[in-house]
Amino acid sequence: MLKTLKKYRAPYLFILPFFILFLVFQLIPTVWTFYISLTNWRGIGDPVFCGFENYRKLMLDNMFWDALKNTVVYWLTGLVLILVFAVLIANLLNSELLHGRVFFKTVTFLPNICAAIAMGLIFRMLFDENTGLINEALQAVGGKRIPWMTSTEYSKLPVIILNVWRNTPWFTMIILSGLLNISRDYYEAATVDGAGRWKQFWYITMPSLKNILFFCSITLTVDSWKIFNESYILPGPGTSNTSLFQYMYESGFNIFNMGFASAIGVILIIILAVLSMVQMAARRQQGEI
Amino acid sequence: MNRKGKRRLVTWTVHLLLLLISLICILPILWMCLISIKPTSETMSGFQSIWVYHPTFANFKRLFAMIPIAQNAWNSVFTTLMGTVTSLFFCALAGFAFAKYQFPGRNFLFYFVIATMLVPPEVGAVPLFIIMKKLNLVNSLWSLVIPRIATAVGIFYMHSYISDVPDELIQAAKIDGCRDFGIFIRIILPVIKPALSSWAAVTLIARWNDFFWPLLYLRKQAKYTLMVTISMLPVSEGLSTPWPVILAGTTLVIIPIIMLYLVLQTFQKAGMMMGAVKG
Repeated sequence: MLKTLKKYRAPYLFILPFFILFLVFQLIPTVWTFYISLTNWRGIGDPVFCGFENYRKLMLDNMFWDALKNTVVYWLTGLVLILVFAVLIANLLNSELLHGRVFFKTVTFLPNICAAIAMGLIFRMLFDENTGLINEALQAVGGKRIPWMTSTEYSKLPVIILNVWRNTPWFTMIILSGLLNISRDYYEAATVDGAGRWKQFWYITMPSLKNILFFCSITLTVDSWKIFNESYILPGPGTSNTSLFQYMYESGFNIFNMGFASAIGVILIIILAVLSMVQMAARRQQGEI
Repeated sequence: MNRKGKRRLVTWTVHLLLLLISLICILPILWMCLISIKPTSETMSGFQSIWVYHPTFANFKRLFAMIPIAQNAWNSVFTTLMGTVTSLFFCALAGFAFAKYQFPGRNFLFYFVIATMLVPPEVGAVPLFIIMKKLNLVNSLWSLVIPRIATAVGIFYMHSYISDVPDELIQAAKIDGCRDFGIFIRIILPVIKPALSSWAAVTLIARWNDFFWPLLYLRKQAKYTLMVTISMLPVSEGLSTPWPVILAGTTLVIIPIIMLYLVLQTFQKAGMMMGAVKG
C-alpha cells in the first residue's frame, strides 16, 4: 500500500485537491444533511433528535407539495423545450447554406452570458401586468392583458420562459459541436440515394446525436432540480412558483428551521439519485453503455 | 418546384428563422440599455418606454449613491478572477493525472469524479453554512473560491483534451530530465492553451453570474458581490426603487461580461487560425 502510494505519488497528489474538497464540501455536508433532518435544530443551541418528525410535517405541508409540483413543471418544460430549441438552432447554425455563421453563433449565445438575476429583474418589468411590453404587445394583436406575476395560474410562465431563454444557448453549443463531428459523407451518400432533408435529419442526424442528447438530458435534470435564481427573482403570489430548492433555502435561512430544510435537502438528494439511476438504466437497456 | 427554387426557399427559411431567434436573444438586452438611460420622469409604460427623449446618466449616479458599488464590483472581480485561475490550474492538473498516468484505481476514481456531478453540493446548503462558519469563511470572499478550486466538470473537460496530447511529447520531456510537475508546467499547460482559454471563458461567466453561493455565505453589504446587491435593489430602502435605476444596475452587471465575451471570442478565433497555419 505505502509502496504503491510512493511509486505513484505524483498522480495521486495531482488529484488529491479534488478529493479533499469533495470530502469537506460535498460528502460531509450530504451526510450531515441526513443527520440534521432528524433533529428539530433551529440554528442555535443543540440539535434535539426528533426522529422522522420533519418528514411527517413535510408530507402534511401544502407549500412543500406546491414547490415539488412547480419543480417538476420546471424540469419537464425545461427538458423538452430547451432540447427541442437547441437541436433546432444548432441545425440552423450548421446549415451549409448559412451566411454570417460567426455573427449568428455569437448573438444566439448571448442569453447564456447574462446573469439570471439581472435578466429576471428585466423580465419582471417586461411581464408587468399594467405597464409591461409583453401585455402591450398582446393587446396590440387583440389579446387580453395577462396578470403574469400576480396570479397563481400564470406566475410559473415567466420563470419557464427565463429558464428556457437563458439555458438553450448552452445546449445549442454542445449539440452543435456534436453536429460538427458527423461526417458530411453520410449526408452526401443519403442525397445520392434521394433522401430529403427531413429524412436525413431523422435517420442520420438524430441517431448520431444520441450520446450527446443523453448527456444533455442528465445535465438538464440536475440543473432543473436545483433551479433557484429564476424563481427567486420572479416571485409570484405565495408558493405559486417557488421551486423546491428555493423552499429549502427559505425554510433554512429565513425562518431558521434547519431540520425541516435539511429534510427537503434529503428528498432532493433521493429524487436526483433515483432520476440519474433511471436514466442510466434506460440507457443501458438500449445497449449504449 | 425545381431543385434550385427549393434550395433558395430553404436558404431563406434558415436565415429568417435565425434572424428571428437572434432578435429574441438580443432585444431584452437592448431594451434594458435603453431604459437605463431614460430619466425617471418619462413614462415606462408599454411601447412608449422605447422612446427616450432626454438620455441621461442620472440613474447610474443615483445607483452609485444607493450602494457601495466600487466595493461590490471589486468583490465580484476578485472572486471571479481568483476562482477562474485556481480552478483552471487544479482542474488541468487533475485532468493531466487521469489522462497521462497509469495508477491503481484510476478508472474507478475517474468515474467517481464524474458521478459526483449527479448530486449537486447545493442540497447540503444547511451544513455547508455551518462548515463555512467553523472555517471562519462566512463573510469572506474565499468562501466562494475554495470549494470550487477543483470541479468535476472541469476535470472531465481537461481530461478529454489532455488525452489527445501525444505521449511522445511527454516521453521526450522525461528524457530531457523533466519531472512530473515540470512536465505539467512546461509541456502540458502550453500545449492545451486553447482548452484553457475556452474553459476560462466558461468559468469567468459562471463565476461572475454566481448568485446562490454569495447569497448564502456573504451576509454584509460591504461583502456582497454585484449580483447580490443588484438582486436587492427592488426592495432596498424600504421603498420601491424606480425601474430605470434597477435597470442601470443590471446594465452594469451584464454589459461588462458581454464585452469580455466578445473580446475572448476574437482571441479564440486568432488562436485557432494560428494553429491552422502551423499545421
